[in-house]
Amino acid sequence: MRVDFRGVGVVPGMAVGTIRRVETSLTAAMAAYVSGAQENENEKILAAQAVVAARLTAQATACAAVGQGLQADILTTQQLMVQDPMLTEKIQNQTAVGLSAPQAILTATEEEAAIFDAMDDAYLRERAADIRCAGQAIARQVLGISEIDFSGDKAVILAGITIEPSLLASLPAGRLVGVLLGEGSRTSHAVILARARSLPTIVGVGEFLPQLRDGDEVLLDGEQGLVRLQPTSAEVAVVAADRRQQDFLREQDAALRDLPAVTPDGVRVSLLANIGTSAEVAPALEQGAEGIGLFRSEVLFLGRASLPTEEEQYIAYRAAVENCRGKRCVFRTLDIGGDKPLAYLDLPTESNPFLGWRAIRISLDRPDLFQPQLRAILRAGAYGPVAVLLPMIISADEVRAARQQLEKARTDLLAEGIACADTVPLGLMIETPAAALTAKVLAQQADFFSIGTNDLIQYTLAADRGNPKVSSLYSPFHPAVLQLILQTISAGREAGIPVGMCGEMAGDSAAAVLLLAMGISELSMTATLIPRVKAKLRQVTAKRAKNILDAVLAMHDAAVIEKYLPMVLQ
Amino acid sequence: MQREVFHMVNRAGMHARPAALLVKTAAQFQARVTLSLGAKKADARSLLMLMGLGAKEGMDLIVEADGPDEAAALAAIRRLFAKNFGE
Repeated sequence: MRVDFRGVGVVPGMAVGTIRRVETSLTAAMAAYVSGAQENENEKILAAQAVVAARLTAQATACAAVGQGLQADILTTQQLMVQDPMLTEKIQNQTAVGLSAPQAILTATEEEAAIFDAMDDAYLRERAADIRCAGQAIARQVLGISEIDFSGDKAVILAGITIEPSLLASLPAGRLVGVLLGEGSRTSHAVILARARSLPTIVGVGEFLPQLRDGDEVLLDGEQGLVRLQPTSAEVAVVAADRRQQDFLREQDAALRDLPAVTPDGVRVSLLANIGTSAEVAPALEQGAEGIGLFRSEVLFLGRASLPTEEEQYIAYRAAVENCRGKRCVFRTLDIGGDKPLAYLDLPTESNPFLGWRAIRISLDRPDLFQPQLRAILRAGAYGPVAVLLPMIISADEVRAARQQLEKARTDLLAEGIACADTVPLGLMIETPAAALTAKVLAQQADFFSIGTNDLIQYTLAADRGNPKVSSLYSPFHPAVLQLILQTISAGREAGIPVGMCGEMAGDSAAAVLLLAMGISELSMTATLIPRVKAKLRQVTAKRAKNILDAVLAMHDAAVIEKYLPMVLQ
Repeated sequence: MQREVFHMVNRAGMHARPAALLVKTAAQFQARVTLSLGAKKADARSLLMLMGLGAKEGMDLIVEADGPDEAAALAAIRRLFAKNFGE
């Protein structure tokens, strides 16, 4: 008999397991509780808070020790709530009027939670559930209700109105496969923990929770918010296969993370990440990024009513540098133009913003904008290795002018006694045909190159990628594009400077093979693409890559090349 | 008693993480530390009071420290705000 229930899916994924209900009703235990004098009750409360807090702290430490920072933070927050002086005061107000310890705890907790329920801010309203969890934990400790014992259960799906984060954290990985919550939302602590452990989770199941009993076998679909009782063996098999696949891919990626991107015959490429905020550094390093090849500084400038000050930029850049923990962070200077209006910058209306006043052109015309940015980067450079990358360069003049600005910024900072980096490599984005064709000359002025294929391809093929009528003309494998890239890399190598790529092409595994053969030093891409590119480079010898490149360079059509590559790189 | 005004730069405002850092920092000092936002006042030892202020990005918080090590307490909190609570 097919029985389906629906809730709100908050963590995607499928799971099959046995229901274990988490009982939150304390009525029976409360009825059996024998209360004592006020001081006795207060003592019990303080002792219970200490025990629960110690458990949470131990769990937080354990999580932190294995790099599970997010989970550690959640558990620490729960611990601070459990021992919050304001909550304690409210609880003691209740014992003072004669309530028993558990009653006082639950009453005071409810009072505090209700304050948060009534707040304007959605984030604060969602904290109410976490506060109730904290109160529950203390009350259960006083009532002597022990933690649920899960030994023997193979695949458990926890179901309850609320589930204490502490309980979620205590279940060993693999044992717990899914979570069903009556209350809660995307940002509840329990849900955040479940997400961090990739556990399919559905909330809003309160109505049908009574129909789920201990021992029921259910199938969960966290994407659809579907709970299916008594799934067929065929359905179970599908879920099992899917999970095995997910686990396999996750393990592979994890194993790959610390391995270098090196071909079987020893040719190495550095794989880096492109980001826009300091918060993305840690996840990028998780994927195996060896550094940040592109920090898009314009993210800081967009969607604001006023210019970010030098101080604000410094704080953001420094956070990124510190998160890099010794790996290099390359900051691209402001790369915006007429296509992305900024309220506070008087950008002229242009009929052709992509060929207009943008990027380095703005910076060089406006030292009042350029200096604060350069100063902020230099100051952040006191905390770790940084580099400056100039966008949209077309001539050596621009580079000389920019280098003068950089020197001025550094001299000023030193004169002001402000700590800053010693030497900062100055790199150029090679993203215009002019830059690629005169790369030899530019290489004399630059410390490194980074090829920006997104714009290079558009300018070279004279086709707007965003225009549906001509977007099919855009291809990184057009012979003209490959020639310009080859020319750039050769010029860089001759001059002895590293050549990297930060355009989308860098994240394409097939392209990576060609680029390796051309002599690229670094590929910087969206972090999630790193494992695939690394896997490909570890499979193909440099010798074979060269043969493939030679074949490709003899071809005349992007379409032909695009068919050839997947075939030969099977 | 010493007092200083700080600007909330975090995009998400005073959410659990910065509040927890404040609690941990204030706990290291003897001085009594409070944060005020408009008419609301929070004891820096209480995570719930701090979050309850509802401080959002762009708001100014008045921090007061009162006690023998009040200068050190303020300096420590100043450092937290300066590095944007590590975000």
